[in-house]
Amino acid sequence: MIELLTGMLSGALLAGGVLVLGALGEVLAERVGVFNLGLEGLMALGGVTAIITVAHVASAPLGLAAGILAGVAGGVVFAVPVVLLRANQTLCGLALTIAGTGLAASVGRPYSGQPARAVFDGVAIPYLSELPVLGRAIFSQNLLIYVIWIILPIALHYLLFKTRHGINLRAVGENPAAADAAGVPVVLLRFCYVVIGAGFSGAAGAYLTLAFVPSWSDGITGGRGWIAVALVIFAGFRPYQAAAGAFLFGLITALGFVGQARNWPIPPAFLSMLPYLGTLAFMIVPVMVSRRLQRRLAAPASLGLAFYRDQR
Amino acid sequence: MRVQRVASISGGVVIASRIGAVIAALLVGGAIFALAGYDVPMLADNVVEGSLTEFGIEDLGLLVSPLILTGLAVAIMLRIGLWNIGADGQFYAGAVAATVTGLAFPGGNDAVMLVVLALAGFAGGALWILLPALARAYLAVDEIITTLLLNFVALLFVNYLCTGPMRDPGQAITSASARVTTEIPPLMGDLHWGLVAAIVLALILALVFAYTPWGYEVRVAGANRFAAHYAGIPVRKRLMQVMLLSGGIAGLGGMAEVAGTVHRLQGGISNNFGYLGVMVAVLAGGLPIAVLPAALLMAVILNAGIVLQSYGVTTYEVLALTGLVLLFIAISEQLAYYRLLRRV
Repeated sequence: MIELLTGMLSGALLAGGVLVLGALGEVLAERVGVFNLGLEGLMALGGVTAIITVAHVASAPLGLAAGILAGVAGGVVFAVPVVLLRANQTLCGLALTIAGTGLAASVGRPYSGQPARAVFDGVAIPYLSELPVLGRAIFSQNLLIYVIWIILPIALHYLLFKTRHGINLRAVGENPAAADAAGVPVVLLRFCYVVIGAGFSGAAGAYLTLAFVPSWSDGITGGRGWIAVALVIFAGFRPYQAAAGAFLFGLITALGFVGQARNWPIPPAFLSMLPYLGTLAFMIVPVMVSRRLQRRLAAPASLGLAFYRDQR
Repeated sequence: MRVQRVASISGGVVIASRIGAVIAALLVGGAIFALAGYDVPMLADNVVEGSLTEFGIEDLGLLVSPLILTGLAVAIMLRIGLWNIGADGQFYAGAVAATVTGLAFPGGNDAVMLVVLALAGFAGGALWILLPALARAYLAVDEIITTLLLNFVALLFVNYLCTGPMRDPGQAITSASARVTTEIPPLMGDLHWGLVAAIVLALILALVFAYTPWGYEVRVAGANRFAAHYAGIPVRKRLMQVMLLSGGIAGLGGMAEVAGTVHRLQGGISNNFGYLGVMVAVLAGGLPIAVLPAALLMAVILNAGIVLQSYGVTTYEVLALTGLVLLFIAISEQLAYYRLLRRV
């Protein structure tokens, strides 16, 4: 039982990390009013760039940096048409997903199936790692875990809700015309935060291929980008809730792994369905239970809408 | 000179912008291929030659019919302002339902069985979109993500069926069901009547959406849900009807693939047709009639991809290229609204 608990907890933290990174980036993009459906493609690009980088220079931090840069590059490709040209966000997001996964699979072919040459290894924290359950589940993980689960959510929460800059960027997502009238650079903020958010997705991909799996294979993102997008809606566009949601999904994913490892009498295919079905449930059930909750978790008012300064 | 955004554009400009987008995407794609070391003019030559043989045209026809169906499925949901990104899953569900029904009545191969299989396929697809449809209509849950998530579930389910309970033990292929005896009659070589049926369906849907009160109500609900509700149009009911119809049509695509082309259920039977259907529908601007040329164009691109595979180009590169096409369409759609004006 203790072993099961430890396995679930450490699995959830490890697996959920991808989702936290993706979801936090998407929170930033959606808070400034841009719906980025390209996460899946950005993650694939980040993941493959990271794996190729470490294959040449065996340094995991360098791989992570390369993954982030790949995400940023993909973000610029997305932000130019969406923010500057005001092209349809849904379309561009889908295009980014399709082109990104295709490109990643194509350049990643020679590296497919090989283990990553440098990985983010688990580090046992002195004393703390000897604690029962928590020691192995939390204090023996790779160091990125702490950044992803603690530092980033706090930093983003602080940025969004405790600073003037955060008010400005939320205003851009709620009412860009009013923000514009108040002198907030709407287009600039949208562009920057969409690109930064895309960098988070690139990091998620790098984390996937350098810390979680750690190797590259075609289709390795497996819908995690989409789950992260769903998570943002479930979390009501808030960083803490996004992290909490990612933990829940991590638990569900871990349940599948544990089930397979322990030969539960459920076909592995059904265990693999759990994250997707779980996401569906989390999108539908809370809304079903409470209309008030639905309002509280409402999306930024101008999410998905282009801003035309001359036509407001 | 300066640019000005205009409020509305004519159909001709829309078509021109679409064609421009595809050409631009092919040029950029070609440039990237050239940078990657491919001999692009040689490849283009081979694509044109390979596509124009009798074999190539047959292949094209086999690709067009599922693309028309999935394209229609996505297009009619665009009419009511919603995205069906789950056509792939509904395609699988239709294929499963048709295969199960076909295997339940072995030896049957007549018009009645074909209709039964088609109904099963339709029902399978409609069932697969039922939950997203209910969530959209009654709880306003975003349909993009719910429909998409079920694709992964369908893929896992079909792989499970093909390697588990429905696996044909007599077969060398390890992930396929037994052969379904009911077949759509052939039209020419490998090409079957499913193509004709798909074209007829597109024409019917075009007429329904353009000329019936039902189609009008759907379009109004798509343009402005609140205005439609205020005008007394039962918006929820129309949402449900259109979404179930959409899922059903994608399911028909799966049925036609089983009964017409593959004759059994196998993993990967959807061939990404569902995702490509999104592309077809977008290319067609959500118009059922325009799905026909759009599906043809997408089939030409896919067919080119098949020809290119003998030159070391993989499906991934073709996938990336279709993504590029989609991106350029999105950009051109917006640029079409801008006019160059001479300064006065």
